[in-house]
Amino acid sequence: MILIKLAYKSLLNRRGSAFLTLFTIAISVMLLLSIERVRVDAKSSFSNTISGTDLIVGARTGDIQLLLSSVFRIGHTNNGVSWQSYEYIKQQRGVKWTIPLSLGDSHKGHAVLGTSPDYFTHYMYGKKQTLSFLQGSPFNHLNDVVIGSEIASTLGYKVGEKVIISHGMGNTSFHHHDDNPFTVVGILNATGTPVDKTLHIPLAAIELMHGGSHSPTEHEHEHEHEHEHDHNAENLIGEPTQITAFLMGFDSPLYTLQVRRNINQYKPEALLAIMPGVTLRELWEMLSIVEKILLLFSSIVVLVSLLGMLTTLLASLSQRRRELAILRSVGARPWHLFSLISIESLLITLLGCILGCGLFYGLMSVAAGFLQSHAGISITIAMLSDYELGLISVIMAAGFLVGLIPATRAYFYSLADGMSIKI
Amino acid sequence: MINIQRLSFKWHTQQTIPTLTIPSLVIEQGEHVFLHGPSGCGKSTLLSLLAGINKPSSGSLSVLNTNLAQLSNRKRDAFRSDHIGYIFQNFNLLPYLSPLENVMLGCQFSKSRQQKALQQSSSLEQEASRLLNALGLATEHHQQSVANLSIGQQQRVAAARAFIGSPELIIADEPTSALDANNRSAFIELLFAQANIACSTLVFVSHDESLQALFNRSISLVDIMEQAQ
Repeated sequence: MILIKLAYKSLLNRRGSAFLTLFTIAISVMLLLSIERVRVDAKSSFSNTISGTDLIVGARTGDIQLLLSSVFRIGHTNNGVSWQSYEYIKQQRGVKWTIPLSLGDSHKGHAVLGTSPDYFTHYMYGKKQTLSFLQGSPFNHLNDVVIGSEIASTLGYKVGEKVIISHGMGNTSFHHHDDNPFTVVGILNATGTPVDKTLHIPLAAIELMHGGSHSPTEHEHEHEHEHEHDHNAENLIGEPTQITAFLMGFDSPLYTLQVRRNINQYKPEALLAIMPGVTLRELWEMLSIVEKILLLFSSIVVLVSLLGMLTTLLASLSQRRRELAILRSVGARPWHLFSLISIESLLITLLGCILGCGLFYGLMSVAAGFLQSHAGISITIAMLSDYELGLISVIMAAGFLVGLIPATRAYFYSLADGMSIKI
Repeated sequence: MINIQRLSFKWHTQQTIPTLTIPSLVIEQGEHVFLHGPSGCGKSTLLSLLAGINKPSSGSLSVLNTNLAQLSNRKRDAFRSDHIGYIFQNFNLLPYLSPLENVMLGCQFSKSRQQKALQQSSSLEQEASRLLNALGLATEHHQQSVANLSIGQQQRVAAARAFIGSPELIIADEPTSALDANNRSAFIELLFAQANIACSTLVFVSHDESLQALFNRSISLVDIMEQAQ
């Protein structure tokens, strides 16, 4: 007990350097915890991008390529799936729903997705959450567009606004479909997935834009005459020649493997069916080198901060040989002095870790909003997980081990000096 | 109290001439002994042997009828904390403890000294405070920072730390060398008074032979060493 008191008072006496050391450790702990929390949450956000979809079907390419193009809107697929194949596979046993996806158009650099109204009921992300509307409703007309939350906030679109959609990806497309203005009818709630950065239009509208025979407005007028605003799902989907990909849900997961095999062996067309969960995991494994590098760097920061502590303790030790001699004179054994210095390093590390956790929570509560809106990573501000507590214990153990070096030196100083005071 | 017979001490085993040779030296309980000699004659070495920091290379050295030469390092450390109070030349105190805490430190590593201190007062703190007052450090200074005390005041705190728990042997290694003449004799008088109350043996080391007159016994280390040759 007396040793803990001595260590505490001695540190307090050297509070300037002790606090700096403690602060360095705190920063490194904060950094390590933040990087790990963001990494873990990024991983879960990432794997939460799509859920409830049993199969994604597209033209034959790589698994990851299909996932990237259909879910993350990254990269191109040159081939699509013909409408006949889609219609055929749709009829398979156990198929509960299918959602056709047609990509390739863009609006100011944001992906435009042609799809069916089913998208808003069957597409799920996170823990099987469906899309929900912040404002407005799903598209009902051929020239309606439903926008993701990020589109709404970055481009400042409101319900009722007219939007021009161009052909091809990128901001500077050669061909603008200037004659096809769309009206924003719905804004989706933020999901933290690529849906936030997507404009959703009816599948049939894509065909009309590219077919160019008549504008959707005219087309719509025709329909308005015929059906008096009665737009059924059929005319929103139309009969395109081909689509980019489609999502499938089954009545029972038992059908998934069966249908997947059938699709992969489908003769008329080279198709590929992937299970999104499996492919997401493969993709994350490819990215694991990045996470390992991040972990490596934050570990090095922790190591450097502990070496900083080592330097401070060693530097102070030579000035404290007098102190060691006094303690020896009142009967402290070399072993006591060893413990004294160890306790000091433990105290610094412990307080550093506690302060680091405080800073970590501070940083997370400040950064959570930013990460959600800019990186789509939803940060959970919860208690430290077992993994994080494990990291802290590793830091504590490392701090203790590093502290053994000055402690050992104090031990030998006290043996060599005895009670003769070296200045 | 202290009985040294045919003692020799070498720092290294290869050393041909021992650093210290004492054919015989006996100090009785309660004596106030002035041990003097010029710098480098082996005073500090003798003190380190008496305090149990080092072991004699040959001969016997017993304190309180315990032969320190035969004790393990650990037991000699324990022996020191139980039976010996030590006062250094100067800078005796831990800067981060108050004078009161510095005094209490004297019995913090020994159960028996704690018990003896508690026989005197109801708490260690009270005992420390009592000793500081007895040694002439007013209560207002007891909690003050050590750095604000004068050297004379610091030496009083050091003396109180040596006396707490009434150890049988007090070793003072030139404790007055940083004090002026007036303070010096006043300090020595206080040491005597406390040593008498606690029935402690006092071994006072100095190269300043003018202090010799104050002690009832004086030993010249040089004479003892010459006897050996």
